Amino acid sequence: MFFPALGVTVVVAILCGLDRTAAGQFMICRPIVAAPLTGWLLGEVAIGLQVGAMLELLWLGRLPVGAAIPPDDSQVAVGCTFLAIMSHAQTGMPPQAVAAASLLISMPFGKAGQLFDRLARLANARLLNKAELALDSGRFEGLERFHLRGMWHFAAASLATLTVVVGGGLLCLPLFLKYLDGPLVAAAPWIWLLFPLAGIGSLLSGLKVPRASLLFGGSFVLGLFILALR
Amino acid sequence: MKLPRSVLLQVLSRSFLLQASWNYEQMQSLGLIYALTPAFRRYYSGAALLAAYRRHLEYFNTHPYLATTVIGAVLKLEEQAQHGIDPGFTVGEFKSALVAPCAAMGDAFFWGAMRPVAAVVALLWAFHGSLWGPVFFIALFNLPHFWFRVQGLIKGYGGGVRVVSTLQRWHLSDWAICLKQVLVVLLGFFAAVIGAAATDNLDAGIAWGLCVAPLVLGLCALMRRRVSPLLVVLVLSLLLLSWFQLH
Repeated sequence: MFFPALGVTVVVAILCGLDRTAAGQFMICRPIVAAPLTGWLLGEVAIGLQVGAMLELLWLGRLPVGAAIPPDDSQVAVGCTFLAIMSHAQTGMPPQAVAAASLLISMPFGKAGQLFDRLARLANARLLNKAELALDSGRFEGLERFHLRGMWHFAAASLATLTVVVGGGLLCLPLFLKYLDGPLVAAAPWIWLLFPLAGIGSLLSGLKVPRASLLFGGSFVLGLFILALR
Repeated sequence: MKLPRSVLLQVLSRSFLLQASWNYEQMQSLGLIYALTPAFRRYYSGAALLAAYRRHLEYFNTHPYLATTVIGAVLKLEEQAQHGIDPGFTVGEFKSALVAPCAAMGDAFFWGAMRPVAAVVALLWAFHGSLWGPVFFIALFNLPHFWFRVQGLIKGYGGGVRVVSTLQRWHLSDWAICLKQVLVVLLGFFAAVIGAAATDNLDAGIAWGLCVAPLVLGLCALMRRRVSPLLVVLVLSLLLLSWFQLH
């Protein structure tokens, strides 16, 4: 079960890693898509959906503008879904608890993604230099090849991030689940709510919208009123 | 020489790989060359093709979804240059003038507004375990994505320098502001859904859900002071775990 599942996870991770910057940008890489996709391919779509829903908003306000590189939430989503599904199969703990545990343990490792992404972009600069040299010597056939080779760098960066996320998770998660299984099961429904709440706070903090407090407060109270009427 | 539809389709499909070799020196310049190549091979050959490549292998950075607008206009200008039409500026100058506004408009509209709106709509479904959430997200986000890619190329190639007025007519910055207001409303509703779920956890009356609003505003204030959301989640989760460990 472990190695076939890891193989599937690697394929999804590379696909999402390329979608993130290099190819398409159809947003398959967003946690709300990448995690359920991984979960579906591994036979536990509900766990994937939980991981994706918890993670989606957290770093969404960090925009990939200019040279800025946001934390790699795609690889965190894919890696954590894999870890949560494996932990669920091994321990039999509730999906919400394993999803929360894998995210809490592996999210900090996801920061490594920024480093690997940066390295991929630096490696791409070498491709540009090669392309310029080729043009200087009057050869232009290789230009397209140099450009497409950049995708290997982004794929390698995704794989490296996934390795850190999954590797770190595999090392730390068993200990975490062993010593904190009881409180984790009790706290999981609250942690499940905490993630999107922090995401809402993070998004609101970056928005410069006229009458934001009024709009937020109004829709919040109205929403709660509608939910109370159900 | 007017470009046939098949070549424009090739240019469009190649624009999806614009950022394959993104780098810190010239950002998307090789990607631009890659997208322009099918058309350039129609326009030029030999030394002229080499000169065209040299002309465009320079700093290029714009929003990937609006890049087709620039690419289309560049193709039109190259075509006009072949016919001896002088617009009064070089293709490079026009390109440099257009990329920054396209980047700013695209970033504000797609990254700053459309993507979060699609994400919150998706989360309203996903939060209740519905798989329609991811489907809605992909559909809602990619409809304008594809529309702008295709229309950008059509309007850019059709209009040349007049694409600037098309960009103004699209009012992307105004749409971005409207969408951000919609986003705030959706975030308020989503916070209410979370508040209702929290009262379910506690078996308390739904009015207690009102407590979620100050919590969100407190988190927002913390993050405005540059506290990392990751740190906030980790610390609050540890506090929750400690609470349940002790009780």
